Amino acid sequence: MKPMTKENAIDIDNSLHINNEMTKPDVTSMKIPADQVKIKAEDVRVRYGDKEALFGINLDIPKSKVTSFIGPSGCGKSTFLRCINRMNDTIDNCSVSGQIHMDGVDILSKQVDTVLLRAKIGMVFQKPNPFPKSIYDNVAYGPRLHGLATSKSEMDEVVETSLEKVGLLKEVKDRLLEPGTGLSGGQQQRLCIARAIAVDPEILLMDEPCSALDPIATAKIEELIDELRGSYTIVIVTHSMQQAARVSQQTAFFHLGNLVEYGETEQIFTSPEDERTKGYITGRFG
Amino acid sequence: MQTTIFTFTVLLLALIGYYMGRSRAVSTVGGDIRKLHSLPRHYGYFVAIWCGVPALVLCVLWTLFEPQIVNSLVLSGVSSLDPDASSAVVSRVLSDIKFLALNGTGRGADDPSMIAAAAHYSHLKSVGTASLAVAVIAFSIIGLVIGRRRIGAELKARNQVEDIIRLVLLASSIVAILTTIGIVASLLFEAIRFFGKVPFTDFLFGLEWSPQIALRKDQVASQGSFGAVPIFAGTLLISFIAMCVAVPVGLLSAIYMSEYATPKVRAFGKPMLEILAGIPTVVYGFFAALVVAPHIRNIGDSWGIDVSSESALAAGLVMGVMIIPFVSSLSDDVIRAVPQSLRDGSYALGGTKSETVLNVILPAALPGIVGGVMLAISRAIGETMIVVMAAGLTANLTANPLQAVTTATVQMVTLLVGDQEFDSPKTLAAFALGLVLFCVTLCLNVVALRVVAKYREKYD
Ligand SMILES: Nc1ncnc2c1ncn2[C@@H]1O[C@H](COP(=O)(O)OP(=O)(O)OP(=O)(O)O)[C@@H](O)[C@H]1O
Ligand SMILES: [Mg+2]
Repeated sequence: MKPMTKENAIDIDNSLHINNEMTKPDVTSMKIPADQVKIKAEDVRVRYGDKEALFGINLDIPKSKVTSFIGPSGCGKSTFLRCINRMNDTIDNCSVSGQIHMDGVDILSKQVDTVLLRAKIGMVFQKPNPFPKSIYDNVAYGPRLHGLATSKSEMDEVVETSLEKVGLLKEVKDRLLEPGTGLSGGQQQRLCIARAIAVDPEILLMDEPCSALDPIATAKIEELIDELRGSYTIVIVTHSMQQAARVSQQTAFFHLGNLVEYGETEQIFTSPEDERTKGYITGRFG
Repeated sequence: MQTTIFTFTVLLLALIGYYMGRSRAVSTVGGDIRKLHSLPRHYGYFVAIWCGVPALVLCVLWTLFEPQIVNSLVLSGVSSLDPDASSAVVSRVLSDIKFLALNGTGRGADDPSMIAAAAHYSHLKSVGTASLAVAVIAFSIIGLVIGRRRIGAELKARNQVEDIIRLVLLASSIVAILTTIGIVASLLFEAIRFFGKVPFTDFLFGLEWSPQIALRKDQVASQGSFGAVPIFAGTLLISFIAMCVAVPVGLLSAIYMSEYATPKVRAFGKPMLEILAGIPTVVYGFFAALVVAPHIRNIGDSWGIDVSSESALAAGLVMGVMIIPFVSSLSDDVIRAVPQSLRDGSYALGGTKSETVLNVILPAALPGIVGGVMLAISRAIGETMIVVMAAGLTANLTANPLQAVTTATVQMVTLLVGDQEFDSPKTLAAFALGLVLFCVTLCLNVVALRVVAKYREKYD
């Protein structure tokens, strides 16, 4: 562990300051050593037109771990996730303020090139959305955009290793040129994950990746998330408490556009501090 | 006029029938409508249908057949008419009689049998109208009574009403289908008559088109030649030029409108594009003939190129402009039907807007776009007004867009305009051209609609 840096010290000041204002102890921040923090969100606010969706989120996401976002529908989990790779830019009436630091750079600033940013931050969506192209072309899409492979054989290798990583290679080896839309739902979702990791991102954002899948396909994806954890920082939104408990190390509980509680997954599920968290995970509301 | 009054009377009676049926149904069960098989209004409809439909059917049959019956009755009384007279003579005599009946004087006013026939005609007309009035009103009242009598708690009024509605809808579709079949059949029939006079292969493969028919036997060019190749070549040339304008401009503007434009620009731009579709084709026609064609010729002159004043280029360009909204609105529909999730997928991988459009949206929308373009082609091939005004009449076999060419539609117009003998090859040639045109556009439309439908299946 590195000695405390100046930046880190300021952080603690901030959280003390917040603590003073609130009557209850702050349960939304978690002590993560500064060199382990991959994403650091500060006072992220989002509004869709006149409607506020996020009211100032402060959240540190650790490197090479799985962080899950839980919370009732409409509480802003997807909205926050989409801030991290600037996907909210594609929504006309959406405005985002605050800062999200990734490796010390504020990715919400205007200067950031979203093309390069999104190459570093992959995203997997709720419904599998393979392009109406061949399996091969689906996986090769990102590397082609970013010129990651110079020759055909190099591209073949990228495609194969990506498919291998998601455990799909065995299943589709001899039909790489068939359309990706012809796969089963679970295979499609793994194809989408392969597509996302083919550009070798640092972070993988997953928005309810299993909600359209059956239990067996879900189990496969969860296994996959566990395997990918070492090499990627993963953020997953899920409605399944069990899934959050199974795959993640940190859990953040959102409620009505606020981050209510954030901590070690085990602690959140065994001894939540906030009444709302307790209510949600025991199924009393949400 | 009378028929209108009858129709209104019947409708009024039907309305009365509706309320009578309703109240009777309610009263048969003592106001407890749960005991009824159907809702009270179904009983209302039931009586209204009984009251209205037979009477209206009678009205329609009457308007269809009354003139023929009256005519034949009247003609049988005209002694001066040769029983084997041609239809033209018969119709002339008939109109004379009608004129006499109406004005009391006119041609044939000195022929007693004609005068008698005119009187007979007026008589038949007035008797006919009176009896129709009686019959129609009797029908509706009888219908009303029968319908009302049949009402009881057990009557399955809802089912019967549904059945009748189904029959009415069926009848309408049958009318539409039969009309289509009739038109195609007459086209086919006349075309076959044409091929009886001009060999099929001469028509389809002949290179010369000059449909002059001699009035006298010794006239030059007494045969006329009906080789349709130059005409179809001209049609294709102009359609091709039109598509060269319409496809790129239409497609690119559709991409702009659906992917790039802000909602405000779109709200303004789309209607503007669609106004193009609302301009009558005749306006495009004189725009082509009076503005575009001279312009092209001037440009050609300044380059030292010889441009005909009625060039294929002018007609094709303007036709292309006319088709732009067609291509753009169909493409816009299919592009917008591409699911947002595909765009998100591409953006999330770091795709820019143009990369996303090119690599994901266009390939996904391509089948639909192709379908739209094919519909546009069939539209271009069938377009008449612009080419009549701007493309010329001479059937040149050329691929040079600066020369005058002619199209199938133009030829059909020129063949049929003016006084024509109805069974000369010249007139019948129009039907043959029409048949070929019909077959081509039919094939294009069928294929295009299939392509579009298949594409729809994929995303719905
Ligand atoms: N494109 C949009 N335009 C306007 N409002 C939006 C838009 N997307 C989301 N919102 C609003 O923002 C709030 C947060 O939405 P968000 O999608 O982030 O919720 P969520 O937590 O992901 O819910 P779910 O679990 O149902 O996916 C909601 O109130 C929603 O109505
Ligand atoms: Mg969501």
